[in-house]
Amino acid sequence: MSRNSEPMQSRAAVLAGVAATAALCLWGALETYGFERAYQQQNRDPYMVEAQFARLAGIAATVPENAVMGYLTDAQDGSAGASAMLAGAQYVLAPRLLARGTGHEWVLGNFARPGDFAAVGRSHGLELQQDFGNGAVLYRHEAPR
Amino acid sequence: MTGLAWVAEAVLLGCLLSWRWIGLSAIKPAWARVLLRAGAGAAGGMGLVSCLFFLLGVLAGSPAAAMVVELALLAWAALDFFRRRGSAPRMGVAAGRTPVLLAVSAVLVVAIATGAIAAGWQFNPLGNWDAWAIWNLRARFLASGAGLASRAWSPALGQMTHPDYPMLVSALVGRCWAFSHSVSPIAPQAVGYAFFLALLALVGGGVAALRGPVLGLLAALVLAASPALVHEVPAQYADVPLACYFAGAAVFAMLDEPIASGILAGFAAWTKDEGALFLVVFGAAILIFRRQAFSRAAAGAMPGIALLLVFKLGLAHANSSSLLASSLPGAAQRVTEGSRYGAILASFGRELAGLGVGWYHPVLPLAAAALALRFDRSRAREAAFAGVVALGLLAGYFGVYSVTSNDLAWQLQTSLGRLLVQVWPLLLLAAFACLRVPQLAAATPVPRKRKAAVKERRTRA
Repeated sequence: MSRNSEPMQSRAAVLAGVAATAALCLWGALETYGFERAYQQQNRDPYMVEAQFARLAGIAATVPENAVMGYLTDAQDGSAGASAMLAGAQYVLAPRLLARGTGHEWVLGNFARPGDFAAVGRSHGLELQQDFGNGAVLYRHEAPR
Repeated sequence: MTGLAWVAEAVLLGCLLSWRWIGLSAIKPAWARVLLRAGAGAAGGMGLVSCLFFLLGVLAGSPAAAMVVELALLAWAALDFFRRRGSAPRMGVAAGRTPVLLAVSAVLVVAIATGAIAAGWQFNPLGNWDAWAIWNLRARFLASGAGLASRAWSPALGQMTHPDYPMLVSALVGRCWAFSHSVSPIAPQAVGYAFFLALLALVGGGVAALRGPVLGLLAALVLAASPALVHEVPAQYADVPLACYFAGAAVFAMLDEPIASGILAGFAAWTKDEGALFLVVFGAAILIFRRQAFSRAAAGAMPGIALLLVFKLGLAHANSSSLLASSLPGAAQRVTEGSRYGAILASFGRELAGLGVGWYHPVLPLAAAALALRFDRSRAREAAFAGVVALGLLAGYFGVYSVTSNDLAWQLQTSLGRLLVQVWPLLLLAAFACLRVPQLAAATPVPRKRKAAVKERRTRA
């Protein structure tokens, strides 16, 4: 027995230990597979980012890629929903840059609830360019800056 | 499909370069050498093309130049490979036999893990929040060309997208999208999976090279059957690439390949802010355990560090969202709040338990291996090296949590699990480095009682 080592195991114990390790890993892999499949299925696109590609397709087709767009929303500032709406829209519309506020020629209206979007725009000095449905609205400044 | 082809090209380029430049010819068994070269090649190749694209495609504004340089490098490396093939010396110590059943088990576990990852690709092809809000968003800007790439670190993106985060993953994905003229989710999915396989190859191959084929295969098995790690792969975050660079740097340091080790450590710094902490901890560990390798490891890390400094101090200086920097005001008061430490420790315990799933925890197979094989104390120094790096990182993370100005519960809940995934391969490396090699254990002297019984039987006969 090496002075530096703990007492050694028999060959059978070693083989059993190695086999048990491999068997435990196989069990773990199967558990992981079952968990992941169920988890991913139940949490399918929780922030609906994929749906934004279709929802914002008209805006992406209208606004040039190099534009910096203003951003208007009815979501409560600082809420998780507001963050998800902004981040999802930013991802889908990139390389256009979204900047909170209305101080740009093009402004994205990203609304969670129905409303009079034209009136909302007018209150910010914006002209409703097109309502693409599902709360996706494109505004333009009445007098472009 | 072409996005996938560009990921494959990066891996191939890295494999050819690692075959050419990393001197592993003495490593046995041969499959450990192949795994190490493939793992280092995949991780190094993806890091290299990311840097090339950032320098030439983004900063110089010519993605075409980045592609030409890459393809020229690939052509040269391929030519060199075919010229030198077969000339490399085959020497080194004899390794134990590779148990086929164990190898088959490892392949099976990796296949099952791949199935679990594929479920993520199927149901959440864009990955999780940070993928589309940070890493791949910036990749879209970098891929857009036409002078818009600098939007990837624009302050207008706001703190939520952390525009000052290091760029390795974003530049790598952006490169695939720019070269393929398509913003397909296959590219970031393939990047995450390639880093996962590279991590398995580096840990499995590294342990096999250091401690023999049985322990190498067991290490790969335990890692591939780690639920929290597998869960992070389809998320398309930078944590799996970072874990790969952490483990790769440690493995090559333990194999006395300091330059390769330094290169991977440098790429870690260019991957995520935690990589900078890793550089400090890793550098200190090298100074303590392998002082003579420090200068070469530092030289290897220089390109990654230089790129990080150019980015952080030059390009993204105005929009720093560094957690540590933003936490400094008021930190003195927060460090005196004892309740914070209790909350952090409790969260560490919860998240460590959360590395498993159901009744399974990856510590179970590790414990089974340790019980069966026991520890070889003569290997304590190797284990201590990887262990010190892992514990140093955990201590650093603990320190950042103790001073963070963000809501502590939110910060812990949204990040600690991923931080443990980064460090988990290092902990496995430390554990497997000091397990006794099974061949040795099998050749042990028979215990006294059995010895006496055998003697008695012989006498009777």
